[in-house]
Amino acid sequence: MPERPPSWPDRLFRALLRAFPFDFRTDHAREMEQTFRAQRREAHQEGSMTALVRLWFEAFRDVFTTAPREHVTILVQDVVYALRALRRAPVFAASAVLTLGFGMSAMTGMFTIVNAIMLRPLAVDRPEQLVSISNRTGFPYGLSFLDLQDYRQLSAVLTDAVGYAPQIAALDAGDGAERTTIEMVTDNYFSVLGVQPAAGRLIQPNEGRAPGDAPVIVLAHRYWQSRFAGDPAIVGRSVRLNGQPFTIIGVASPSFGGTETLVRVAAYVPAWMFDMFSAPTADSVLDDRARRLFTVLGRLQPGVSLAQARAALGVRAAALARDYPSTHKDVSLQVVPETHTRPNPEIAPFLRVAAPALAGLAALLLLITSANVANLLMARAASRGREVALRAALGARRGRIVRQFLTEAVVLALLGTMVAVPIVVFAMRALQDLIAGVSAIATFEPDFRVDVRVLGVALALAIGAGIVSGLAPAILAYRTDLSRSLQGGGRGTAGGSGSRFRNTLVVAQVALSLTLLVSGGLFVRSLDRARNIELGFDPDGVLLASAAPGMQGYDSVRRLAFYRTVGDRISALPGVTQAAWISVPPLGITFPRAEVAPDQRPTDPDWRPPTVYTADVSSDYFVTARVPVVEGRAFDDRDNAESAPVVIVNEALAKQFWPDRSPIGRRLTADGAMLDVVGVVRNGKYQNVWETPRGMIFRPLAQGGSPFATLAVRASRSPSGLAPAVREAIRQIDPDVALYDVRPMSVHLDNGSAFFIFRVGAFITGVFGGMGLLLASIGLYGVIAYHVSQRTNEIGVRMALGARAADIIRDVLLRGGRYALIGIAIGVLLAGALAQMLRTLLVGVSPFDPLTYAAVVVLLLTVSLLASFVPARRATACLPRIPARPRSKSRRAATIGFPPASQAPPCARMHRGTRGGNPGSRNNRAR
Amino acid sequence: MRTPDEVLMTSRIRSVDAFLPLTPPMLHALLALADGDKHGYAILKEIARRTDGAVRLSAGTLYALVRRATADGLIVESDERPDISLDDERRRYYRLTPLGRRVAAAEIARLESIVEMARAKKLVPRPKTT
Repeated sequence: MPERPPSWPDRLFRALLRAFPFDFRTDHAREMEQTFRAQRREAHQEGSMTALVRLWFEAFRDVFTTAPREHVTILVQDVVYALRALRRAPVFAASAVLTLGFGMSAMTGMFTIVNAIMLRPLAVDRPEQLVSISNRTGFPYGLSFLDLQDYRQLSAVLTDAVGYAPQIAALDAGDGAERTTIEMVTDNYFSVLGVQPAAGRLIQPNEGRAPGDAPVIVLAHRYWQSRFAGDPAIVGRSVRLNGQPFTIIGVASPSFGGTETLVRVAAYVPAWMFDMFSAPTADSVLDDRARRLFTVLGRLQPGVSLAQARAALGVRAAALARDYPSTHKDVSLQVVPETHTRPNPEIAPFLRVAAPALAGLAALLLLITSANVANLLMARAASRGREVALRAALGARRGRIVRQFLTEAVVLALLGTMVAVPIVVFAMRALQDLIAGVSAIATFEPDFRVDVRVLGVALALAIGAGIVSGLAPAILAYRTDLSRSLQGGGRGTAGGSGSRFRNTLVVAQVALSLTLLVSGGLFVRSLDRARNIELGFDPDGVLLASAAPGMQGYDSVRRLAFYRTVGDRISALPGVTQAAWISVPPLGITFPRAEVAPDQRPTDPDWRPPTVYTADVSSDYFVTARVPVVEGRAFDDRDNAESAPVVIVNEALAKQFWPDRSPIGRRLTADGAMLDVVGVVRNGKYQNVWETPRGMIFRPLAQGGSPFATLAVRASRSPSGLAPAVREAIRQIDPDVALYDVRPMSVHLDNGSAFFIFRVGAFITGVFGGMGLLLASIGLYGVIAYHVSQRTNEIGVRMALGARAADIIRDVLLRGGRYALIGIAIGVLLAGALAQMLRTLLVGVSPFDPLTYAAVVVLLLTVSLLASFVPARRATACLPRIPARPRSKSRRAATIGFPPASQAPPCARMHRGTRGGNPGSRNNRAR
Repeated sequence: MRTPDEVLMTSRIRSVDAFLPLTPPMLHALLALADGDKHGYAILKEIARRTDGAVRLSAGTLYALVRRATADGLIVESDERPDISLDDERRRYYRLTPLGRRVAAAEIARLESIVEMARAKKLVPRPKTT
């Protein structure tokens, strides 16, 4: 009976059936159409429209419930089959899983860092409503307290706004002062953010505002756990903050980690109490519109867009600029989502270069990894040609087989995730410890935890890497010449294009590996150069110890007495050569600055007073730090609070202000104060090691009156050995002063702005480079070994005809060397391009530094030749030599090929060891 | 029809008990085949008729079921066809295998034991014997 053309319901149902897997449709689509047609006929015969509608409804519902189940069933079958296949090849599976795990760990690690710093929302109520209101035009990027109050009035766009500012303070719970970071917060901080107390209560509106109000403090949950062992009786107890008594009113909830990204705060104090923490001045810090101390977050009104808020806040900002021109002339308001200003606008430009660069390197590593695994899989696919052919003969569609190979690759990658995640957790913990060791000044304590988002990305990476790795072998399997495979037992695979592809992969691996190694090498050279830069002082053999008595309420007289007593006592300790104070040690996190002008200002109307570095030092600082005094004198006991204010400048400033005369006896103003120049010292590095010489002024500690200072102790023995004695001596003098960052100067330089970034950069890129090299060499080894295994017969013939082992090895080495050289050539170009992009992160080293490139090329060539030599050597060692007396040609031919297994067990092992091996050889052996 | 390759990929030897409990649709389908070979639509109709319309399977569910039952060896595609004048040549017929018969019987026995338990607890009344 001729088939009727399909009606529209038939066509619609047929379209619905496309939701089912291909195999299912192939087997049952016709039946299902027949059945559905019969059901429709029945419904028509009933004459009921309801029945027909219900039939179609059921059909749709059925398809959308059953079809996904069928897909899942097939997927499960494929996964089970893949696992069984992998169990039969444990060595291969282990190497693939480990390789993928390492490769994915790099990218997952990078994402963990980016997630922690920039993506993870704050653990507060409705974080998506929060916007950052800050000053766009640079440091300080905060707002003044009064400006914050003005913006809070804009209730049309903001439900409210909070402000917070971190402060270093000495917290004493009765067992000694500990240096902590506390957060000064506006009284609506907790209520606007929706934070609940874990114990006691949180700061209330207007709490601490009225003079005479009892000072209150709220502990952060983590600090409460670590410092007070989570003791609930802590509520109501009194602690001393910088010597002042505070009452603990409560503990914040465990899920709330504060609003700072990198800094872990210990406690929260109402902003009304700010004046207790700053140097005493006439006016309250909170009343000064020029003191832009607070980081501000606003909560948008529901339904209000960012643009609307920006417009309204911009109008208010313009009004403030008009009303207060002197303090607001360089304020430009920026309103962006809270997540866009992490960790803070200062570090963001650096992160914008560093993060994509490191992510790019990690991606390169993942690519090399995927290429490596693709090679492994391709070798395996080539050796499974017989299996593929058999399955195809038994009715398997090629598409199903291709999907099977892809599934296997994805399963490997997912197993690799189980390797990657523990590596990342471990690495993040190490990184957190490394960062936390930077300095106690700003308790950096990022939370690089592996959360759900990171796991999701890891899984996505796994699936991506699996598909990338599995695509080539899947296509290879697809193109397999099945009949040849069945006959030839596995050697009839699409060797031509398959081998070409593998060779291309290996070349790519070498190229990418060179790129990684060159990046690593450049960073290491940078670090080396940085360490060798002339710093202007001698850091070896110096111990540092920092204290901030001014922040604990000591007035200038008491502070000076403290500095003097400690200096004298420490100088007298055994093993100490000299001891001196400096307000801030060079090359720390930051360095104070001041505006200076010479006594005779230049007449040029456009001249502006430059900003230079400034430090207060005790009289023997230059001797202790071994800073040469090139002109005039150093400070001495003449320079005290009663004598004329004096200053010592460095060569750079002397040259700038008095280029053709001696500065001794001249005067300059620094932040308004007139000072006599009494000496000139050699230039040095103060803020970072790559700066060009900048002006620097030194004032006597007795006249500058710094509230904090660092003691530099030059020791005749190891500085770290002196630390306990120094601590004890200072504790005996004044136990209330919190000491911090007691460590050798070399450690300070490693952890500060001097070398820390280089160390981290060199470490990460070095690790990536090393992993890339390992993977590329494994890849090259695999390709050469496979190449050799495919040509055993040819090699055997050549050797039987008189070729020496050395010739064979030379040919193989040439082949391997060719891949390596092509890869190196491409890699050099890639590396140059990448290094150019990383230029700003390197110091003292050109992105095209010949030494680095040459060293990497030599390393790669050596490793490549070695990776080629090993399989070549083993192959020639296994094959038969020419018989002593030549036999007839036919008998000679019979000796070609594999020796029987009993005669040459190492050969058999070798050929099993080349990933996937050569089943053809097993067939030959059976003959 | 399942290829030998698919049989290879998914086959495993299971005992009768390993199949229990059967899902209600599967049990109905096996019961429908107990008294003779049928094609898919006939199975659907018989199930609807025997249950007075309480159980109505859709084509997708039925053929997914058929596929699984074939994979497990409970049914096979039958070679026999009814008289060509009665039948549409294009239909595929299915037959219950001996294994399928044993599995269906085992499931019925399992259900019977549950019913007996319910009766012992007087949850449901015993049928009146006349």
